[in-house]
Amino acid sequence: MNLSLLNIAGVGILSLLGVGFYGLLICRNLFKVVIALQILVKAALLGLVTAGYANGKINSAQSLAITVIVADTIVAVIAIALAVQIQRQLGTLDIKNLAGMRG
Amino acid sequence: MTFALLVAFTVIFAFLAIQAKRLLSSALWLAVASALLAVIFYLMGAQLVAIFELSIGAGLVTVLFVFAIGIAGEEDTNLRSLVPKTLAGGVTIIMFLLLSWFLLPAQSAQPSLPEQSVSTVIWEQRSLDVLLQIAIIFSGVLGLLGLLAEIKAPLEYPLAEQAAAERDRELDELYYQSIEKGAT
Amino acid sequence: MEKYLGIAVIGFPWLGGLCVWLIGDKNPRFLHKLASIFAAAGGLFSLTLLPIISDEIILSIPLGSVFGDFTLIADGLGVSLAIIAAVIGGLAVIYSSDYMKDEVQLGRYYSLTMFFIGAMIALVLSGSLLFIFIFWEITAFCSYALISFHNDDPKAVAGGIKALIITQVGGIGLLAASLISYSLFGSYQINTFLSQATQIPVTVLSLCAFGCLVAAAAKSAQVPFQTWLPDAMEAPTPISALIHAATMVNAGVYLLARFYPGFEYVGGWKTAVILVGLLSALLAALMALVSQDLKRVLAYSTISQLGYMVYAVGCGAIIASQFHLLSHSIFKALLFLCAGALIQAIGTRDMYQMEGLGRKMPFVRAAFIIASLALVGLPITNGFFSKEMVLEGGFKLGPAWAYVGMLLGVGITSLYTIRMVSLVFYRRTGTDKEIHEAPRVMRFVLGVLAFGVLTTWLLIGTFSQLYADSLPFHILHSEDLVVVIVEIFSSPWTYLALGMVFLGLLVWIMRSKFTKLTQTLAPGALFIRQGFGFEKINQLIIRSINNTAGSLRKLQTGQLNWNLVGIVLGLVVVLLFAAWVGYHGNTTF
Repeated sequence: MNLSLLNIAGVGILSLLGVGFYGLLICRNLFKVVIALQILVKAALLGLVTAGYANGKINSAQSLAITVIVADTIVAVIAIALAVQIQRQLGTLDIKNLAGMRG
Repeated sequence: MTFALLVAFTVIFAFLAIQAKRLLSSALWLAVASALLAVIFYLMGAQLVAIFELSIGAGLVTVLFVFAIGIAGEEDTNLRSLVPKTLAGGVTIIMFLLLSWFLLPAQSAQPSLPEQSVSTVIWEQRSLDVLLQIAIIFSGVLGLLGLLAEIKAPLEYPLAEQAAAERDRELDELYYQSIEKGAT
Repeated sequence: MEKYLGIAVIGFPWLGGLCVWLIGDKNPRFLHKLASIFAAAGGLFSLTLLPIISDEIILSIPLGSVFGDFTLIADGLGVSLAIIAAVIGGLAVIYSSDYMKDEVQLGRYYSLTMFFIGAMIALVLSGSLLFIFIFWEITAFCSYALISFHNDDPKAVAGGIKALIITQVGGIGLLAASLISYSLFGSYQINTFLSQATQIPVTVLSLCAFGCLVAAAAKSAQVPFQTWLPDAMEAPTPISALIHAATMVNAGVYLLARFYPGFEYVGGWKTAVILVGLLSALLAALMALVSQDLKRVLAYSTISQLGYMVYAVGCGAIIASQFHLLSHSIFKALLFLCAGALIQAIGTRDMYQMEGLGRKMPFVRAAFIIASLALVGLPITNGFFSKEMVLEGGFKLGPAWAYVGMLLGVGITSLYTIRMVSLVFYRRTGTDKEIHEAPRVMRFVLGVLAFGVLTTWLLIGTFSQLYADSLPFHILHSEDLVVVIVEIFSSPWTYLALGMVFLGLLVWIMRSKFTKLTQTLAPGALFIRQGFGFEKINQLIIRSINNTAGSLRKLQTGQLNWNLVGIVLGLVVVLLFAAWVGYHGNTTF
């Protein structure tokens, strides 16, 4: 396997994606779910920057990545606020107890 | 070599964030992973994104997490996961292999025109992005305000209640007085 | 000039529907008059299409690459069906102005009827497969809404939903055919499809062919999809006349006739079509024989006669099938409208309770008998000529076993028809109920239709000429009227068919001799009355779907982690599909 920078970065992106999805499937606490989402977005950012690096268009990649960071931050903020409110109203953050859409 | 180590450690720290027993540790592992990611960005030539990622990812989001975990409190997170770990792991590995079949080996290409500087790209070519970011931030703040509002108790006006009680007392006295007068 | 006519013929009923809808229910008498005027105008307008019949596209509105072009083609096949829809629709609306005079929510009734007429005309004039599908679905919706017009009656609502579901399942076949056409040729136009049909790989063409057969069978209530039509008789009688006798059920036969040149060489397709037609004709005739409800007898009769048309298309006798379609629309509409007058007069649909109608309503009786003669196939009525053309075409071009079956069907047809006529009009009872003759407006409509039954056979020559000139893909021979008459009266098979008719009449007249036979066949009659087991199949399907849905509810755990497992699995499936396509390099299958 050619160990160029691009390949290493490619493996890194896929591993981060894998870790993020694994976390989404495993975690029972809502905060951990938000953390797993953040890891997924980091994988996407790494993918953007790698693509920009590979094609020589690093500045376009940077501007897109900045947009993604801003949007993702807002998403994280609102998700955390939702989690806090759920804790206040329903008293629990465990996904097993939050299965109101069952059936 | 350093690059490979950086990538490897980022992935390891991300995994540790998922695995951590306490929520606070989880948030802190995420912060470290963000910091390493910022270094990776810098090494690839995206300095601006590196700054953003470091300050926002390792700074703002971590502070938010710590704050929220403080408010909401820690629950017992040592419970068994709902989806069996083998199933989760298996599905993830299948996805990883499929995507790697598409993505690797990675190839590069050279652009036809030399690229413009970062500020030109951001403020001229992608100015619509900037406007949309402003809109997102605005709506995010509004959403947050709405979400974090407390459910208030019904409004209390102590002075008004006192005045109303006074009036009721006076009316009662007048009534009793009129009964007494009528009796005599 | 032609395109304005085309737009007018479709737009006039739609405009009428819109006006009626906007006016609402405030002023019923004005509503009746307005609807009648629009419908009559639509009918007259449609006749103006006759001079412009050609095989060219008269209107083409490009709608981008996704929807193709909206085209109208006024060829013989389309225009004859458009005229049937508009004229009989107009007559049915005029009839409704009297029949429905005590009903409420007339705005809904008339607007749906007018939308239906406009959509039907657009369906048969359309030159684009996608728009045929769209108008197909619009007619299905209008039919559903009109069947359950009395929406406080659970039977009507159930009938409407059943009709909707069965015809929609058929519609999937039509959608599949249109999408296949688009993916292969890049265009939805019928002419493109027909001209290049030989270049489609055989498996794909078979898929299209059988998809169209399924769609046509479901729409025209052929076996195995025939269970919705008898239940749709809960609709007001003018609607039964219009939708379930004269127009919507013809759409299936139209589809088969239109696409015949493309599909005739698909292995087994013609045999399948002939089989569907034969089974429908025979089974429905038997079901009509044991029915008690007058409208149900007419519904089964419709299914049976449509079976004759489908059989004719399967044999390749396109002109014969379409001419029988024309005759059938007129006499079946006449039968239904007479039945409406009778049912309104006596208050029940049960034939065993009908008495005294013959004496008190002579005009309706005369019209009914004329239509029955056409149904049976006796000379001077259009039904005789069209049925003989169908049988002749089937004899020349189709398999012998099918011809024998259809001949048997002719006998059964005459048997149930004379049973119906004698039960309704000729039972000797003593009671003297309060029955009035039908009102003037209704009698006018019945008269027009009866006149049509007696005279439209004279148009055979023009009819076949228009068809042969304007349908480039079909191989058709036009025949002159005199030639046809001579041919029919000189062929011995005609007299064989007439012999079957008289055999049926004879069996009824001498039925007292057959009581022993009838008694032994009684359990069979019960089986037939229950729809030959098809109703049970329907209920089985519904029950199994409900059970599957109930057990699938367990998949919805409500837990976020399991939902995410679903998402990731979906992602894996998409990636597998993309990998497979990428590996095989984009082959067409």
